[in-house]
Amino acid sequence: MAMASLRREGRRFAAPLISSQPITAIRSSLIAEEQAPLGIRSISTQVVRNRMKSVKNIQKITKAMKMVAASKLRAIQTRAENSRGLWQPFTALLGDAPSVDAKKNVIVTISSDKGLCGGINSTSVKISKAIHKLTAGPEKETKYVILGEKAKAQLIRDSKKDIELSITELQKNPLNYTQVSVLADDILKNVEYDALRIIFNKFHSVVSFLPTMSTVLSPEVVEREAESGGKLGDLDSYEIEGGETKGEILQNLAEFQFSCVLFNAVLENACSEQGARMSAMDSSSRNAGEMLDRLTLTYNRTRQASITTELIEIISGASALEG
Amino acid sequence: MASNAAVPFWRAAGMTYITYSNICANLVRNCLKEPYKTEALTREKVHFAVSKWVDSKPQKSSMIRIFLDLGFLRCAIRSDTEEE
Repeated sequence: MAMASLRREGRRFAAPLISSQPITAIRSSLIAEEQAPLGIRSISTQVVRNRMKSVKNIQKITKAMKMVAASKLRAIQTRAENSRGLWQPFTALLGDAPSVDAKKNVIVTISSDKGLCGGINSTSVKISKAIHKLTAGPEKETKYVILGEKAKAQLIRDSKKDIELSITELQKNPLNYTQVSVLADDILKNVEYDALRIIFNKFHSVVSFLPTMSTVLSPEVVEREAESGGKLGDLDSYEIEGGETKGEILQNLAEFQFSCVLFNAVLENACSEQGARMSAMDSSSRNAGEMLDRLTLTYNRTRQASITTELIEIISGASALEG
Repeated sequence: MASNAAVPFWRAAGMTYITYSNICANLVRNCLKEPYKTEALTREKVHFAVSKWVDSKPQKSSMIRIFLDLGFLRCAIRSDTEEE
């Protein structure tokens, strides 16, 4: 008891003594007490304690964010998996032709509005830029339609003149088909295209999200490809009811296909975003825990060093009185 | 039934297939009974902010589509006049 009160008083007296060189003393006490020159007492442990408190708070926050992301992921995962059934019939009918040669390409990049979700937005942007380069050439033009703030921020830096539309605040209300279809309608009305390439992160599992590209062709390109045979060439063998021509049906199908594919892409990207955020927050809480361990060791060493110093002084003072 | 050569009425009015199917879906949702009706109508909320880019600059136009559920048909007509 007495030792503790003595120690507390010693610390209060120590403060004005070291105020002349506070910064070097702090640094030395945090790095290694042995490096501090003799005669200077170690800094009070207040600084280390403050740091420990803030690191602990950060750890709590990131743990909470991880749990929030996990619950949001659970909610949206079933919807994303169910929405895969929307575009599968289209691929069965029309085939998927990523290597089609089109004059006007429009790259629809899907990203998140919020950050702290790992590297998924950067991979989407990287792939978009690569595809832009791939589809560039004489008489060809490639434009961007950007969904989400994060991709917009990255693409503004060097592809400003190629951006056609940018859309944000998509996830204010829970995602539904009506919203995405209105968005698809806007894109179709405002942008001329031969091929639409949608780039998003497909959700395979909580730890794996792969960037994927889906291609939707305009009806004219479908007609052109149908002449060269393959899956699209078989379209003529289908019987058309209802008095519509093949061209009209292709146009309806193309619009609906774009809307379905975009809906699935937006849902999968949202899933990937929550999954990536979960793993990012998990690793950040783990790092905070390690940092806390290291700081605790430093704190204990500093505390013990100051106790030892007090003891030495008292004992040497006592022995000086006797001797 | 429309004649064989003419386009369907909605295409002639300037709607895409997407708009047409959304309006039909809205009509179907309105035929439901409570409580399923309110549940289904929550799935119709639309909100996003779109901005067109001209000359590397986003237009500061107020093209925010904030129409909620039932007003879909009214809003589809309104947005066409806004674009002029």
